[in-house]
Amino acid sequence: MQNQASAKLQDIDAITSGFAELDYICSRSIATALFIASNLGKPLLIEGPAGVGKTELANTMAAYVGLPMIRLQCYEGLDEAKALYEWRYAKQLLYTQILRDKIGEVLGDADTLKSSMARLHQHSDLFFSEQFVAPRPLLKALREEDGCVLLIDEIDKADHEFEAFLLEILSEYQVSIPELGTIKAKRRPFVFLTSNNSRELSDALKRRCLHLYVPFPEASLEQRIVRARVPEIADALMKQLVAFVQGVRELDLKKHPSVSETIDWARALMLLNASELDGDLVRETLNVILKFEEDITVVDRQALELVRQAEKAAPVSAA
Amino acid sequence: MPGEIDHTLVNFLKVVRGADVRVSVAESLDAVEVANFLGWEDRERLKQGLGMALAKTPEEKDRFDAAFDAFFSAVADATDDEDGEGREEDADSGIGGMNADGVEDELARMLLEGDQAELLAAMEEAAAAVNLDQIRFFTQRGLYTQRILRQMGVEGLDAAIREAQAQPQAGGGDGQGQGQGGGASQPGGQAEALETARARLFEMARNLVERRLSLYGAETTRDLRESRLRRSRLGNLDRRDQVEMRRLVARIAKRLAALHSRKPKRRNRGMLDLRRTMRRNYANDGIMFDLEWKRKKVSKPKVMAICDVSGSVAAVARFLLQFLYALHDILNDVRSFAFSGKLIETSDFFERHDVDAAVDMVMNEVGYMPTDYGKSLEDFREGWLEDVDKRTTVVILGDGRSNNTDPRSDILKEIAERSKRVLWLNPEPPPLWGTGDSEIYRYKPYCNLMREVNTLQHLERVVNDLVRVVKAAS
Repeated sequence: MQNQASAKLQDIDAITSGFAELDYICSRSIATALFIASNLGKPLLIEGPAGVGKTELANTMAAYVGLPMIRLQCYEGLDEAKALYEWRYAKQLLYTQILRDKIGEVLGDADTLKSSMARLHQHSDLFFSEQFVAPRPLLKALREEDGCVLLIDEIDKADHEFEAFLLEILSEYQVSIPELGTIKAKRRPFVFLTSNNSRELSDALKRRCLHLYVPFPEASLEQRIVRARVPEIADALMKQLVAFVQGVRELDLKKHPSVSETIDWARALMLLNASELDGDLVRETLNVILKFEEDITVVDRQALELVRQAEKAAPVSAA
Repeated sequence: MPGEIDHTLVNFLKVVRGADVRVSVAESLDAVEVANFLGWEDRERLKQGLGMALAKTPEEKDRFDAAFDAFFSAVADATDDEDGEGREEDADSGIGGMNADGVEDELARMLLEGDQAELLAAMEEAAAAVNLDQIRFFTQRGLYTQRILRQMGVEGLDAAIREAQAQPQAGGGDGQGQGQGGGASQPGGQAEALETARARLFEMARNLVERRLSLYGAETTRDLRESRLRRSRLGNLDRRDQVEMRRLVARIAKRLAALHSRKPKRRNRGMLDLRRTMRRNYANDGIMFDLEWKRKKVSKPKVMAICDVSGSVAAVARFLLQFLYALHDILNDVRSFAFSGKLIETSDFFERHDVDAAVDMVMNEVGYMPTDYGKSLEDFREGWLEDVDKRTTVVILGDGRSNNTDPRSDILKEIAERSKRVLWLNPEPPPLWGTGDSEIYRYKPYCNLMREVNTLQHLERVVNDLVRVVKAAS
């Protein structure tokens, strides 16, 4: 399985076209990053503005190599009990109750406290063994027989401590559990980390990862992305739409529309049966691509101008 | 030739560090791995690959790309000329116009034959032999140029020149007689040609040294300049330094942010609150079933920075504000005010625009007016005094020169009473305090701390202390 997966990753062009088949259009630098990270077995840290397809990249990777995808969503307060493993306390309790008689039997003829202790010690740590471990995403990823794609999403949302905790996994692909010892990955997972840069990540973490910065795509790339995701859209409209969004990104806004918003907008316009952009249509649907009232006001004022520019970029064929 | 490649890569890493990209040992190992894996043929791919291993922020990426292009164009110059291309022109070895048959000296022969490729190769070799990649300071240029020339055997060349010059007096050399070229038939011509060639050689060596210095010396040159900048007065920077300074401030601010953003996990829960536990458990017949813990209050620190933006103080204000806004992740509630003749709140400018644009806007609003501390403090009392509370740290930046108007230190007293603490940063050195129209000593009693701040070093220290006390209090 893994061999099959790695065979698919031997060539940058193969990756590009393979991803394109899965409707993920990746730029040259993304394909190169996948190629290097997967072949050198290094985690890949992906940064970039929200909505440029960082998470989707990992999803597509999983589909491409045909491995399960295990996702760990980070948030403030995430700790190892939720990320790595936890003991099944209820099960432990239940078992002690059920096994009470058995334990009594074992201890039956021991008359002193000391000898009963010794008796108990002959049995290994029954209740702190693999059966009572509830694996969480990270441990699951390490135990996956054929390897997997592990996505640690929005690592910048987690606390500093958690970042430090990840270091062992990222560099050695192993974790240490006090009661069980060190668990090594059966197969090295493909590890992706994403960050929206809401805070600076520690140097130690960055050092262990290859770093890929995904910016907003250029017009031509964005056109291909929209085409792949919303195949039924008319060519002229799609070009206008992309040109408009690219124009909006030039403005001084609180939050620029990203690729996911372009795609949403394209879908919205398809629902409205639009065949080309015009001022009114843009004004009515602006809230799809802009998420702040102030931004909408700014763009609204310049909507006509932007539409004109967009039309220039992609003239509607004689309607 | 893996050895040579590694050497190139090691040099490249030096250049990358020089370009202000932080590279750890682990990352250089990654770079080696990436380079070995990708090979050196596809340069664009190599650039992307190495960029991923070495540059870890968008800014670093830009600097890395520039360094990569600079370095590999330099290396390409050297190697392209080394292998082939030039060598095929060997046929036109007479291009130098000189026949070198009579010349014993190797270097002189190369120069006369005008084989540029061979010459460059020899120079590269000499440069490697004298460790040109160790060059750090611009003062070493002459030294390295001389060393390279000597390594290439310039002494032999000099001897050859002397010999050639001596020959006409000796009445024409039999060695030169065989020359077919027009120029070589004149015995004096060769000496002259050698002289020109020597000058050209010197020029070449000098250029090579210059180029390498700009690659390898970048780091030390920058360090020198930065340590100078840190100590120089913020009031009188020239324009070129301003840009550099802003970058430096940004970097220091980032470091401070990293230093202070690591907050030790404070336990929300304190000791057992016995009183509340007992009260709560009356219902359980006094058996303490539900425990009640003392809680620690988390208070959010606030910082209000009030900056004088007149004259020389403005320069310091700009950098102070740059610091404070760079630290907004840690100091989560920063508000800024600017005044000269009157006072306005400027928080909005800084939140919406980058520091430079914001400073310009602020200057347009309140700059270029005679300072009036009394009026400005009044403005503050009118508009914002009610926002000052026990968690607020008020930072005032100003020289306290109020053009002989009423300083209204009573308002500062009011501010001090309401706030947690008042810090006064004064760009003037202490001996000048209280001289002329300076009212600084009227304000001093109400400040928890008054400090001289006029260099980046001062500023860094003050901001560091500020963040520490503010955080500790929270």
